[in-house]
Amino acid sequence: MTSMQGSLRGSSQGSRQSTKNRRSNLGYFLGFGAPGLFFYACFVFAPLVLSLGYSFTNADAFAPNTKFTGLHNYVKLLGDPDFRMEVRVTTILTLIIVIVPNVAGLAIAVLLNRQGRLYRALRTVFFVPVVLSSVVVSVVWQAMLTDGGLLDTVLGSMGVKHPPGWLSDPSIALYSVGSIASWQLLGFCTVVYLAGLQGVPDELLEAAAIDGAGKWTRFRRVTWPMLAPALTINTVMLLITGFKTYDYVQVITHGGPGTGTTATVAYGVIQTGFTENKTGMASAMAVVMLIIVAVVSSVALRLLQRREVEL
Amino acid sequence: MTAGTTAEAAEATTARAAGTHPGRREESRAPWVRPLVALIVTALFAVPLYLVVVNVFKPGGHITGSPASIPWPPTLDNLKATLDRPDNLYWDGLINSVEITAVSIVVLAILSAMLGHYLARTRSRFARVMLLTLLAGLMVPPQVILVPVVRILRLTHLMTTLTGMVAFNVGYYIPFGVFVFAGFIRSIPIELEEAAALDGAGRWRTFWIVIFPLLRPATASVLIFLGVWIWNDFLDPLIILGPVGGTTVTVGVYRALGEHQSNYGQLFGLMFLAALPVVIFYFLLQKHFVKGLTGGAVKG
Repeated sequence: MTSMQGSLRGSSQGSRQSTKNRRSNLGYFLGFGAPGLFFYACFVFAPLVLSLGYSFTNADAFAPNTKFTGLHNYVKLLGDPDFRMEVRVTTILTLIIVIVPNVAGLAIAVLLNRQGRLYRALRTVFFVPVVLSSVVVSVVWQAMLTDGGLLDTVLGSMGVKHPPGWLSDPSIALYSVGSIASWQLLGFCTVVYLAGLQGVPDELLEAAAIDGAGKWTRFRRVTWPMLAPALTINTVMLLITGFKTYDYVQVITHGGPGTGTTATVAYGVIQTGFTENKTGMASAMAVVMLIIVAVVSSVALRLLQRREVEL
Repeated sequence: MTAGTTAEAAEATTARAAGTHPGRREESRAPWVRPLVALIVTALFAVPLYLVVVNVFKPGGHITGSPASIPWPPTLDNLKATLDRPDNLYWDGLINSVEITAVSIVVLAILSAMLGHYLARTRSRFARVMLLTLLAGLMVPPQVILVPVVRILRLTHLMTTLTGMVAFNVGYYIPFGVFVFAGFIRSIPIELEEAAALDGAGRWRTFWIVIFPLLRPATASVLIFLGVWIWNDFLDPLIILGPVGGTTVTVGVYRALGEHQSNYGQLFGLMFLAALPVVIFYFLLQKHFVKGLTGGAVKG
């Protein structure tokens, strides 16, 4: 397009101009575009292609004979109870992570959507966990939730004799991990919703009030539709974060208690690829994971954005 | 007209006359409810943060006994023990973290500003496909690519080196930088660049002298967010630096976890010092954090 415009403008000078233009476009690409694309190609694009390639082989860091095995890894994954468990764990975690911070973040944004030094200070507090490393967050919560940990000490002083094993009971641990992640992500949602709330014009709310709309109706019919872009941002961000949950599992539970009760697909990929060194199998898991993330987040994005347009 | 509607209309008029949010009217009945609820909710939310801060300044033995008590008299023993560790875990980690983060974000800001400019200003199919390919990279989880990334780094002898870590960071985070810069550059009138070109400035000079200074808000967002992400990163340095290439402060906290299972004092000390730079950074640049996050959250 640019080169076409160039040649139109320079038509009197003939084709010399357009060659020069093409050469300058190449220079523009090499100087501005290429360096960044090179790093992306080396560390994201090529690895994606390689992962796809490995997933059709029996590549193994300790077995030298790598052979093409077609869909063998994928077929094996389908029947693998461990992998199914990982998908189940990841799904539950992602649901918790999408719902809890979204709902609680909105509630807190509405609560703190006022002027003044007090509210400004409180808003600051909610965002602190977002800037902390998930390793730090994991360690703090582990110290709190471990058996006989800080929470149990507090509960004990309040007379609770047998607190549940927050991280040691296989039926509870997954929900504990979900809560920890939600605690860390909540502040992100709050900030995004607060910005959305600032964008709701007062006149609109006043007009609704004059028409006799109560508090709830005003929220449901005026504020909530105006928050559609904020909901889109939060939901897509939480979906992507939820699917790749790894740090909390690696630091706090190592996939346990029991076998795989908190092991996510992301955790499984790393275990299979780096602890068991089964490159081919790990790559197949990674490909399945990427397809799930891509499909779910783009469908969610499409649906949520359509909601914004209908406004 | 019923009495009810008159009263409501009157109320609404008052609200409008007062020039306030309609919510205010209902709130005035019990003005202390909202601040009180807000304080209680925030206090509950902040319990884990409180526990870290108070327990850093408590002698180890007191922590499991009375975790929630105020540390009085406060002790600096935990922090001292962390700083004086014989294996130098904290200082080594800190130096690595600072190097990796600083070099990565500077390179990222420069390369993604230029790439963002190229993709925003070039209207070819190639550029459009490249932009989409890059943006798709925003949702690639590191776990999906790490196995081949390690092979590539081994092949180029960059595995377990800081250079390798930085190179990976640049490739992995460049989609975010391009996303921010390309969007921002589109809002800058192209006439500005054409004017500079008429004055005889080449593309390179036009970009660095005329355009780049205008990108300051975008550059701030990119530096701040990528800085925090790279500082806090866990899995990538854990695998790429490995046990050989040293550690970052974040990975250091994880490494120290095993040895301190019962000594929360020292563990919290290390954690506190690892998180401190980011938290100070956040308090100083709070406005930028919020602005950077909420660019797209408001309609219109």
